[in-house]
Amino acid sequence: MPDKTRASTAPAGFPFTGIVGQEDLKLALLLAVIDPGIGGVLITGHRGTAKSTAVRALATLLPPMRAIEGCPYRCDPAAPDLDCPSCSLGTNAKTRRRAVTLAVPVVDLPLGATEDRVVGSVDIERALIDGVQAFSPGLLAAANRGFLYIDEVNLLEDHLVDLLLDVAVSGVNVVEREGLSIRHAARFVLVGSGNPEEGDLRPQLLDRFGLQARITTIVDVAQRIEIVRRRMAFERNARTFAASREGEQDKLRRRLRAAIRRRDGVALSDAALSAAARLCEALAIDGHRGELAACRAAVALAAFDGRRQATPADVARVAPLALAHRLRKDPLEPAGDDERVRRVVAQVIPA
Amino acid sequence: MSASDASSHRSFQRERVGVTATLPLPGLVALDTPRLACLLLAVEPRLRGVVFAGAAGTGKSALARGLRSLRPEAPWIPLPLGADDEALLGGLDIDATLRTGRRVVKPGVLARAHGGVLAIESLELLADSATNLLLGALDDGEVRVERDGVSERAPALFTLVGSYAPAEGTPRPHLLDRIGLIVLVPPVAAAAARAEIVRRNIAGSPARWADELDSLRSLCEVARANLATVRITPKQQRELIAAAVAFGVQGQRADYFALLVARAAAALGLRDAVEREDLELAVRLVLLPRATQRPAPPAQEPAASDVPQQTPTDGESADEGDQSSDAPQPVEELFEAVVVELPNALDTLPFAPQRRGRSGSRGATSGRRGRHVGSVPGDPAGERLDLAATLRAAARWQRVRRREGTRVALRAEDLRVKRFQSKAGTLFLFAVDASGSMALNRMREAKGAVYALLEQAYVHRDQVALITFRGNEAVQQLPPTASVELVRRAVDLLRTGGGTPVAATLLRSLEIADRARRRGTHNIVLVLLTDGRANVGLRAAREDVDTEVQKLAAGVARAGVRSLVVDTQRGFTNQGTASRLAGWLGGTYLYLPGAGGQTIAAAARDATTRKERSSSSRS
Repeated sequence: MPDKTRASTAPAGFPFTGIVGQEDLKLALLLAVIDPGIGGVLITGHRGTAKSTAVRALATLLPPMRAIEGCPYRCDPAAPDLDCPSCSLGTNAKTRRRAVTLAVPVVDLPLGATEDRVVGSVDIERALIDGVQAFSPGLLAAANRGFLYIDEVNLLEDHLVDLLLDVAVSGVNVVEREGLSIRHAARFVLVGSGNPEEGDLRPQLLDRFGLQARITTIVDVAQRIEIVRRRMAFERNARTFAASREGEQDKLRRRLRAAIRRRDGVALSDAALSAAARLCEALAIDGHRGELAACRAAVALAAFDGRRQATPADVARVAPLALAHRLRKDPLEPAGDDERVRRVVAQVIPA
Repeated sequence: MSASDASSHRSFQRERVGVTATLPLPGLVALDTPRLACLLLAVEPRLRGVVFAGAAGTGKSALARGLRSLRPEAPWIPLPLGADDEALLGGLDIDATLRTGRRVVKPGVLARAHGGVLAIESLELLADSATNLLLGALDDGEVRVERDGVSERAPALFTLVGSYAPAEGTPRPHLLDRIGLIVLVPPVAAAAARAEIVRRNIAGSPARWADELDSLRSLCEVARANLATVRITPKQQRELIAAAVAFGVQGQRADYFALLVARAAAALGLRDAVEREDLELAVRLVLLPRATQRPAPPAQEPAASDVPQQTPTDGESADEGDQSSDAPQPVEELFEAVVVELPNALDTLPFAPQRRGRSGSRGATSGRRGRHVGSVPGDPAGERLDLAATLRAAARWQRVRRREGTRVALRAEDLRVKRFQSKAGTLFLFAVDASGSMALNRMREAKGAVYALLEQAYVHRDQVALITFRGNEAVQQLPPTASVELVRRAVDLLRTGGGTPVAATLLRSLEIADRARRRGTHNIVLVLLTDGRANVGLRAAREDVDTEVQKLAAGVARAGVRSLVVDTQRGFTNQGTASRLAGWLGGTYLYLPGAGGQTIAAAARDATTRKERSSSSRS
């Protein structure tokens, strides 16, 4: 069982199922795993509310994937990329390279990263020692077919944001610098987290995220005690703690795998589609990304719950995640964005 | 405790007097709680650090040094405020790379502090970009470097020791949130304690405290060894966390820190179970400084009426009221003793809602000339060479050039220079003379100009600040802000008349400009609205006031601040003095009788486009 070997060899991170509360956040991340096409997750909320813990914990759940051995972009053997700078190198399309099983990458883009490391650049060492002009792939390459996580995404430099938007739209990283000319696939699920009090997110970037989970401080004392208790237990012995959650982790992993298999067979009912459209109309949302994200998320939710059809109820559940961040800012509207969406959902989709 | 509201002008002078001590930890007077915080951190490094908040000269540096003396063997790495990304993260060691022809990585400050202490003074002045990098390191206990062709992960588990003066500004709440202990250092009031401080400073030789320091060290060792066995009951945990909720503490980090403090405090008390005093200490050092609301008093009393209405100050914080929209919960009676220590004005606390919301700035600039956003081919004369980019450019030619002998061959065409981009706009620093009879007029005009400038603030990312001066001091009425709301609430002139302390004003302006520059704003325009002559000095006798003003004015000019001296008074004015001041400032003198705010705003905006030192002119 590939999952088992992965769990035992990976460093013991905080397990996903160990996170208390924050159901919206967890749901949004799981939906993005089931359907990467939903288009990324933005997590906003108060300091110290398990934003980055949850994203990093996601890595403990991801089912492994097949990739061509030695390819720095981890090309999918089932869908060979004829333009891949590595796989197409010195081989003709007929000679198949060996495939291996790899963990899905969850790559951190740290603040303070420079552009050359994000897009990739000349490998200085090889250039200096061997005089070879080799391409050293950057973080975008490392994140291909996986997740790219930016903590404090609202603090990221503008020029890096531009670059990311470009790549996120096209799925291709084009490097034209220092005499290099490289194109490689860079399809990833963008996950960002941040606190809006520290700075705003550019509207273009905001719109790129399929789902947004807004989280707040838990005020239930019992839940907070449980949070601290688990953290202390994890610090005392990470492996023991991880092992104690392994049963639940494995259950969730199996459920995710089943959902991914089922996803393409899930039908979107006409009623659900119409509900999504009416919601966006009632909320006066520009463009069609809102409906698309809401429908895909509803399908993913149905798949997660083991159903064959996505219903208006699924749309209603994911609507705050898919729509709230696309609302036009209304300075006269006293209610929060989530609340506005819920209100309209209650009108448009009767329970 | 009344958190210091001493104007920083006064604290600036106090620093000169030098109350700061070289006293070792045991010798510090009237600092029992702060000293205890040092011990707690030594016992429980998972608290991640301690921040001392207090006015200058209250012993913050002595406390930091005291902490060092508890673990003299651990690395002690000071972080200079101007440190850029490269200093913090490290990167390619160009020198070694060129010498060896192999990629050599040099560790940054964060990695070097691993296993030790990172010391930061004036935390409120730390550049935003540096703060952002610190957040990551504090979260993960490691530093991720992705720059200049280097991709590395290095352990960076350190404790942070920082200090700031609340009167000067507040460090970013995000940074403070990740640091366990926040100590509001009390100003020492009792005369006896003050006398003792001086006595110990003058007379005491450090050796006198050596024994006590030794015993503190061994106490910490014993406590560390026993820490794992200290018990805390579920009821006590519940009490602490309920207190966190009652104080409106945001997020869950504080709960964790509070439990750590309670257990470490018991260990320091050589007990194996947490007691009431340990819980109180945890509330005092962790929860209280993070309070965003006053806990509801126990049943019988009506809701406290002196709670300041906490309306959001601007758009950014407008939608965050949802976290604790319910009424404040009553805190357990247990902590009533601590609750009374809440300052009357909650906004002196670092997490109070009023201090949040860094409107307009987006806070993402740093370095002396903005952010390094890329590199282009160019001549390094007068620019900053980007060696890493230069090496990358040269890399592809190495095989060819190697035949010519040298290990790494660089040519002029390889050279790359850094391109910077400063996102911050201009800080317009208004200094309004409140000494004359026309002071009210000037204030109205200044406010009009401020409004006019802020109308375009979002486009230009501009900020304004406001100082008034009269008598013998210059008071900051408004810190640099882009919030129209804050300007509206800025104090109107209540009292006018008195002397004209131009020197104090220039000094104040320099301080504000310096702080703004550290935060990434490099264009600063000083708009001085005055008609009078300087007649109150800082230290100088009356006849030397001009010399003092002249020196300070030259300092303002040297600091790159562009100045505009505006005289708006009709009728007789002493133009000679004011225009001479403009000359000393290397700025412009404008005689604008009865000019409205719009005219002054336009003149101020003109000044931003003017190059250095235009000669003074009259209109």
